[in-house]
Amino acid sequence: MGSPNDDLARQAATPAHGRPIRVVLTKVGLDGHDRGVRVIAQALRDAGMEVIYAGLRRTPEDIARIVLEEDADVLGLSILSGAVVPLTRRVQEALRVHEVEDVVLVVGGIVPEPAREELRGIGVEGVFTPGTSLTAIVDFIRASVPAQRSYGASGA
Amino acid sequence: MASSTRPDRAPAAPSDSLPDWQERHANELAQSRKPVFKSSSGLPLEPVYTPEQLQRAGWDFARDVGYPGEAPWTRGFIPGGYRQQLWKTEMYAGFGSAEEANQRYRYLMSQGSTGGISIALDLPTQVGYDSDHPMARDEVGQIGVALTSLDDVERVFDGIPLEMVGHIFSTANAIGPIVCAWLLALYEKRGTPTGDCIVQLQNDPIKEYVARGTQFLPIEAAVKLTTDMIEHCRSAAPEWLPISVSGSHMKQAGATVIQEAAFTICNGITYVESCLKRGMKIDDFGHVLELHFCTEMDFFEEIAKYRAVRKVWTRLVRERFGGTTERAQHFRLHAATSGRPLTAQQPLNNIARITLQALAQILGGCEQTRTASFDEALGIPTQEAARTSIRANQIIAYESGVPDTVDPLGGSYHVEHLTLAFEREIDSIIGEVDAMGGALAAVHGGYYQRALSRGAYREACAIESGEQVVVGVNRFQSDEAQPVPTFKLDPGAAQRQVERLQEVRARRDGAAVQRTLQELRSVCLSGANVMPAIVSCVKTYATIGEIADVWREVYGTYVPEAVRF
Repeated sequence: MGSPNDDLARQAATPAHGRPIRVVLTKVGLDGHDRGVRVIAQALRDAGMEVIYAGLRRTPEDIARIVLEEDADVLGLSILSGAVVPLTRRVQEALRVHEVEDVVLVVGGIVPEPAREELRGIGVEGVFTPGTSLTAIVDFIRASVPAQRSYGASGA
Repeated sequence: MASSTRPDRAPAAPSDSLPDWQERHANELAQSRKPVFKSSSGLPLEPVYTPEQLQRAGWDFARDVGYPGEAPWTRGFIPGGYRQQLWKTEMYAGFGSAEEANQRYRYLMSQGSTGGISIALDLPTQVGYDSDHPMARDEVGQIGVALTSLDDVERVFDGIPLEMVGHIFSTANAIGPIVCAWLLALYEKRGTPTGDCIVQLQNDPIKEYVARGTQFLPIEAAVKLTTDMIEHCRSAAPEWLPISVSGSHMKQAGATVIQEAAFTICNGITYVESCLKRGMKIDDFGHVLELHFCTEMDFFEEIAKYRAVRKVWTRLVRERFGGTTERAQHFRLHAATSGRPLTAQQPLNNIARITLQALAQILGGCEQTRTASFDEALGIPTQEAARTSIRANQIIAYESGVPDTVDPLGGSYHVEHLTLAFEREIDSIIGEVDAMGGALAAVHGGYYQRALSRGAYREACAIESGEQVVVGVNRFQSDEAQPVPTFKLDPGAAQRQVERLQEVRARRDGAAVQRTLQELRSVCLSGANVMPAIVSCVKTYATIGEIADVWREVYGTYVPEAVRF
């Protein structure tokens, strides 16, 4: 059976740097609702990306380790609880401690407007709230990754 | 519009059969708004239903429908339906600290919420962490009230006479036995007989592993604890409802209406069989089981679901579990409108959605219902939004005339056809899950998870392509802002909660706490029923984290699995 979303399937990913974009998606904190993140996982997969969904209640240290092990280009955090800013900040700190600097960090979930600004301030590149189109998320990730990779290479 | 397209001649004799009608009007029937018409679960929908389809499906009035208050129970358990008693309207609430939750419960009761107190718990509580655990940071009191020890429970019910409440519900799943022990202890301290106020806990861990996500033990241990609680309640509080097997979360995570019904029943089978294995008899506990579902937007599917579930479960009780009494078959059927179809855009539109959902579950004959609030897509409901939902129920109850006839849609060719289709589809999924080795095997094998993920993705794609319309979201958008006041949580609540917890730890008898926890550890290792030991623990003000840590130590912990898509 093909993908239920023809639009996404049609735009097969052009692998950058010889391999598909690798995305680690995870829940952070205690919130266990993962319908949204599972939908995103399938949309990115159908757009030709390799997607690892790490599951529930991952600690910031777990997440940094998984990103390193999977050599991920993108880290997507799904947070539906009210604690989106502090949880994201802790993940950022863990990434810094583990010297993960070249991963595109995106956050999906319920993010009130003031929190959106705060997230940008701490280095989150994309914030996706309910209602964001799957195509927009795919496009955003495609556009962000090559730039980030070359930036990482020149900065090394 | 329709009349103007009719031929200008004397009317022909009426069609003598459905095929005749279809042939005669083929041209007009081909001019449809959509290429195919399907129910939300994917069942094909014909343009019209007649006795002919029912006959073809082998439908029989006496076997499939019958009379209200009689087998096969399709039309409800009560002969007079809502003529005897209206459905209970329960509102789910809770946030912040015990004091704030206490205030909200008093308000809801003063406004005519007749379904008792329905307690939303914060996430640390639900996964067995104390409010000051590092994993609890920033989440204390956020999406429900924080309960860490008997002290919090005493404050939640402070000044509220339990016999006036009548019913207490909470979404305690993996922690069900701890919450049950708190309430047993509270009743004992107050001298309240258990029959004066019925306690009902969700106590359904299986679906947590696939949808709701508060699991923290291996699934087999969680089912064992659930069974302990059911068994203990039968003697310690025989009036209480120790489990509510829930489909709503699976549907909200992507299950179709059919899968919601079928997966819930499969999970229910697992719990019942676990009880039967201990030597319990279904005739002694069938009536304290609840099946809980949510009602979303496919109006007729939802009605058919509630009718079919009554029929299927009562048949399982008779034929599979060996039930011999009427009482054993009369499980409690609980319905809640779903927060998921509610939109953040144009939030007042949600009042219409909530009303339709409430009407469907009422037409489905549910005796206990819960109703969401129109601002739920924006945050914790405000008082005004919660009151409006109570009013929607009251308008259906007192203004519409709907409750004055029992099962008013019984005999509708469409509804009967759909009810029969639901029964058959549910039976077929039960057969599939049985063949896998039951619900736990279905969870281990990822069967439920795949079904839910695919369903959620299918719907997301259908909304994105516009095939599925969500008013105000992908059609009929509006730039006009609808200002809706949103609920603001007192930022000091979490800190107060942590301070309270530390005070409790300082003033309790530490040696007694350690002794009861040690006893609990031995009981867990022995495999005996843990409930009496947990009741002893909570009476010493041992905390939820301390008790759950004993479980984690003895049974091990749930480990999240990474999935490659």
